[in-house]
Amino acid sequence: MSRAVAVVGVGQTHHASKQPDVNCAEMVRIAIDKALLDAGLSHEDIDAIVLGKAPDPLEGIMQPEQYLAGALGAHMKPIIRVHTAGSVGCTTALTAATHVASGLYGRVLTVAFEKQSEGNAMWALSPNYAFTPPMVAGAGGFFAPYCRAYIMRSGAPSHIGAVVAANARENAGRNEHAHLREPITVEDVLASPMLWDPIRFLETCPSSDGAIAIVMANEELAKKGPRKPAWLKAGATFTEPMYVPGRDQVSPLAGRTCAKHVYAKAGIKDPWNEIQVAEFYVPFSWYEPMWLENLGFAPLNEGWKVVDRGDQKFGRHLPVNPSGGVLNTNPIGASGMLRFGEAALQVMGRAGEHQVPGVKTALGHAYGGGAQYFSIAILSTEL
Amino acid sequence: MSKLRNVAIVGFAQAPIVADDPHRTAPEMLYPVVKQALKNANVERKDIDYQCAGSSDYIDGRAFSFSQVMEVMGAWPPVQDSHVEMDAIWAAHLVWVKMQAEECDTAIIAGFGKVSEGSPMHVLNLQLDPFYHASLGLDHVSTSALQASAYMAKAGVDDAGLAEVAARNRAAGAKNPDTQLRQAVSAAELQKTPFVTSPLREGYLPPIGETATCLVLAAEGKAEKMCDKPVWIHGVDHRIELQTIGARDLTSSASTKLAAKNAFAMAGVKGVNDAQVVELGSTTPVEELILRDALGLSSGLGGKADGPVVNPSGSPLCANPLMNTGLLRLAEGFRQLSGRAGERAVSGAKRAVVHASAGHCLQQNIVWVLGTERRWA
Repeated sequence: MSRAVAVVGVGQTHHASKQPDVNCAEMVRIAIDKALLDAGLSHEDIDAIVLGKAPDPLEGIMQPEQYLAGALGAHMKPIIRVHTAGSVGCTTALTAATHVASGLYGRVLTVAFEKQSEGNAMWALSPNYAFTPPMVAGAGGFFAPYCRAYIMRSGAPSHIGAVVAANARENAGRNEHAHLREPITVEDVLASPMLWDPIRFLETCPSSDGAIAIVMANEELAKKGPRKPAWLKAGATFTEPMYVPGRDQVSPLAGRTCAKHVYAKAGIKDPWNEIQVAEFYVPFSWYEPMWLENLGFAPLNEGWKVVDRGDQKFGRHLPVNPSGGVLNTNPIGASGMLRFGEAALQVMGRAGEHQVPGVKTALGHAYGGGAQYFSIAILSTEL
Repeated sequence: MSKLRNVAIVGFAQAPIVADDPHRTAPEMLYPVVKQALKNANVERKDIDYQCAGSSDYIDGRAFSFSQVMEVMGAWPPVQDSHVEMDAIWAAHLVWVKMQAEECDTAIIAGFGKVSEGSPMHVLNLQLDPFYHASLGLDHVSTSALQASAYMAKAGVDDAGLAEVAARNRAAGAKNPDTQLRQAVSAAELQKTPFVTSPLREGYLPPIGETATCLVLAAEGKAEKMCDKPVWIHGVDHRIELQTIGARDLTSSASTKLAAKNAFAMAGVKGVNDAQVVELGSTTPVEELILRDALGLSSGLGGKADGPVVNPSGSPLCANPLMNTGLLRLAEGFRQLSGRAGERAVSGAKRAVVHASAGHCLQQNIVWVLGTERRWA
């Protein structure tokens, strides 16, 4: 990246299955007001806006940046709208970073949201494509075979998914913004109904309403801010086709390539020991061990052993999703930016009750489509 | 303006623009276009650093539609990629920003929209404020008609004026083998076409059309090897306004004005008259008149033709394949400045101003300045 980019403000709504008191415009405005307040800035300090969200049919508003121009404070400013499936939140944040890195924009506001209560996500996530049988099974139906394949090839014991879910919920209990916070046990998870084998009800992300906004700035402007910024050391997005023959759907090459690319850019040789906290996009419990492998934190087929040892728990070697993650908060289009934003907050030392002590380097990650869109960011306390 | 990186358009390809291609899906339409664009730019897919597409789930009638074009864009082994839910000309802008950040040197930009999957009148209603506008049943024709009425009342332009603008574009379109309506029609004939929504007649509106497009961008050092006459980006800016139809002056385009001012400053030109060609993303005659005002061009009414040639392609009035319409304007700038405009070539064109729009009543606008020479030494 040609110029340094810093996160100088983060704001998010409380996430819930339905935010009945606000519409989309009001919901994004809450997140934006919080982010600007956090950065000690106002709308006139912003040079451009980058908006991200998942499919428009989720709310029934086409290209909502047009309707939301006022709420976003975008009047007479440049705005672009990113959509890269589930990865979109993180990709949107990285797109904003590119705007700052270009030197053309000093401060950029980036926003991501989803108001799933406006529509029917199961329907929107079951698109019909030519020459492929309609599944009408949502994302869970799509990803369950990948999780089954993971279990078969890694030999992971069947309780691992439940352990991930119970731990993620415990983490969400420390995050005041999380959607689901009531504690659950491994036994509760195992006793919950099977939705798409091997994914049980309590191993599945909720449908959430929520928004997040982040302000990014160049080096000079970031240093003027009231707080210590989080510096973006590296970021990249990689994609592969859904149907290419021989593709590894369990540990997609695009994810491995993306991780390798950002580690090289950030000078990270040993992610397990050089990164202190990670926020992965885990919409179904089994994806936690799968991503531990895909992102190079564990050898192939051994991600589940990290979970079995509990080394990814809060207070242990590499806390994964201390925010509670996507399993407990999933406003789809915002979920990837929440990973990016939570990683930034950890680096800034302002994650509140779920702050991991001594974080110098944090990773934010999102994926989407048929496990084909990958977006990864490395944030650091150091410029 | 500080020195920026010289970036050029080095290749372009498009599918024929038709009302309905019943035999091919959007990815099938795009596949040969990507291949042709790469061939035109003398480059193989593996030598391209980045790709970005512009499309809309609502236009294609399915969620995550863009995820289906990864195969045809050549995303294997995995590639660096993004997608904007906008006209592909904004994908081109994002790529240009990415090149300024030195995150890539070469890129393909794809546009596609399977317009025939649905009814644009109903689909574009969904762009509007769901509480105060969409629920009234407004569509892009009725909002444009409101704008046209307001403009005609203010500027004193009548039905004959609209017909003159439309006829001029249809005459230009007749010379463009890549557009959809290729028959010249007189103003008098156009004035006989029925109103769709008064004061806009059928003859003053674009046909429904679909296509797929692919543009290749490259930074200095690589661009020269990919194209005999690379067309360099001298300046660009884009701006949006509030959507609220009742809260902005529909008779002028403040966002175009500001974008043009910034793009001209970046390009180091005084104004639009420093260009020999102007290509506007106007979908009605009134939009063209408003954009002419905003850019500082004369109205051209009454047969006056001073200043640069406007809309040599025939403009979106001859073809408006949604999600591609803007990128086609940039392509026209490329074709005009790189000797690829055939019979409609504007002789001696060295600089072009290109405009595209999104949303109802010119809500969001982008302005580019292109040139045959590098902008920055």
